[in-house]
Amino acid sequence: MIDIHQHPLHIKEVVDQDPALEKAVKNVYGVYSSPHSLESHFSQMDAAGIEKAVIMPIDCTTAHGCKLVTNEQISWLMEKSSRFIGFASVDPRSPDALVELEKAVKEFGLQGLKLDPSLQQFDITNKDYCYPIYQLCSELDIPIFFHCGMSWSPIGQAVLAHPLMLEKVIQDFPKLKVVISQFAWPWVYEAFMLGIKYKNVYFDTSILFSGSPSDSVRQVLDGQIGLKNLERSLCEQIVFGSNTPRVDPKRLVWAIQDLHLNPALESNIFHANAANLLKLDRRNDG
Amino acid sequence: MKSVVKTFSLQTKQDLEIINITEIVKEAVASAGLTIGTVHIMTKHTTSGITVNEGLPDIEKDLLEMLERLAPRKHDYHHARFLHSDGQMAVNGYSHLRSALLGKDTFFPLHDGKMVMGSRQTIYFVELDGPLYREFVVHVLGE
Repeated sequence: MIDIHQHPLHIKEVVDQDPALEKAVKNVYGVYSSPHSLESHFSQMDAAGIEKAVIMPIDCTTAHGCKLVTNEQISWLMEKSSRFIGFASVDPRSPDALVELEKAVKEFGLQGLKLDPSLQQFDITNKDYCYPIYQLCSELDIPIFFHCGMSWSPIGQAVLAHPLMLEKVIQDFPKLKVVISQFAWPWVYEAFMLGIKYKNVYFDTSILFSGSPSDSVRQVLDGQIGLKNLERSLCEQIVFGSNTPRVDPKRLVWAIQDLHLNPALESNIFHANAANLLKLDRRNDG
Repeated sequence: MKSVVKTFSLQTKQDLEIINITEIVKEAVASAGLTIGTVHIMTKHTTSGITVNEGLPDIEKDLLEMLERLAPRKHDYHHARFLHSDGQMAVNGYSHLRSALLGKDTFFPLHDGKMVMGSRQTIYFVELDGPLYREFVVHVLGE
């Protein structure tokens, strides 16, 4: 199983390296509990049945003067364990964004880009600073994981993360693979529309708004989209993502299992779709 | 009267797990150096428990399965929402209820420098929402 959505900002060994990170995790990201060890993190992955996890930073330098884990720290974690697949983050409004992204991919081996417009507070459609980043991601053939919909960060602004703003980007960069988090809840129908129209749009499963993850995942995937529509139209475009540490990843695994999907679709969600998106099998390490 | 408190840590490995801590407790009591009094064993968490039972694998399995029956994961719990004070989803109502069923602690008398225990009694730390880093305390109070 591959978890495409983890933030390693709550791992004690990372927090201990960086005194500013603990404060930023509380004040900017909005997680207030104590960090846990790398050993504990792997135990949680084991208990959930997760073999590999994509770990992602968020560069909030312009918006909030901090990085919620750096690309270098992601690289350090990847050296600690081959179970981690690293994504990069750059501050789109930084003049160094392109250089940093290229370095993260070519030097550190990071395999995708994470952008959180609600927290990084930028305009997804901006042609001056965003389009060159999208162009570079297309050329490097790496996916962009967009936080879309509600942000649990106390200072995140959901209005900047509306999925409809992505449609023009998707049209202008038809080769760019775009992952939309949490089906962009609460804008689920708009996100679903993008998924059925554009085959290079993917969704992760980290749907966490209330109730247990089983409740919220069922409400969106069964109640709003419909399980038959998932099978018919999105069977190759949904990837398992937990959004750890907002929730223990085992609960998202249970949420998907509780849907009792057909085995082929469940297998796609838990492994095959992410392996294809990240080209893991082609890299011979999936 | 003297009071000796020792804290022990565990990295649990499963969502639901029963861990025999009898020898850890006995060693803590022996190192406290007291001869008469009381031994109190307490978990520091609200989604774990301390219990005493016969140290057999089938009893251990039955105990965990009983907890799953009495407080099942799939149920409409009130404690199923975003917890603003943590910034994380609080969706482990069943773990808290299982903890309430087990209790957080147990006591044994201390006599002639040893815990007074039945021959089949085994002390367990029970993980109810793992894997997590956990702590329990052994408090020896006496002379």
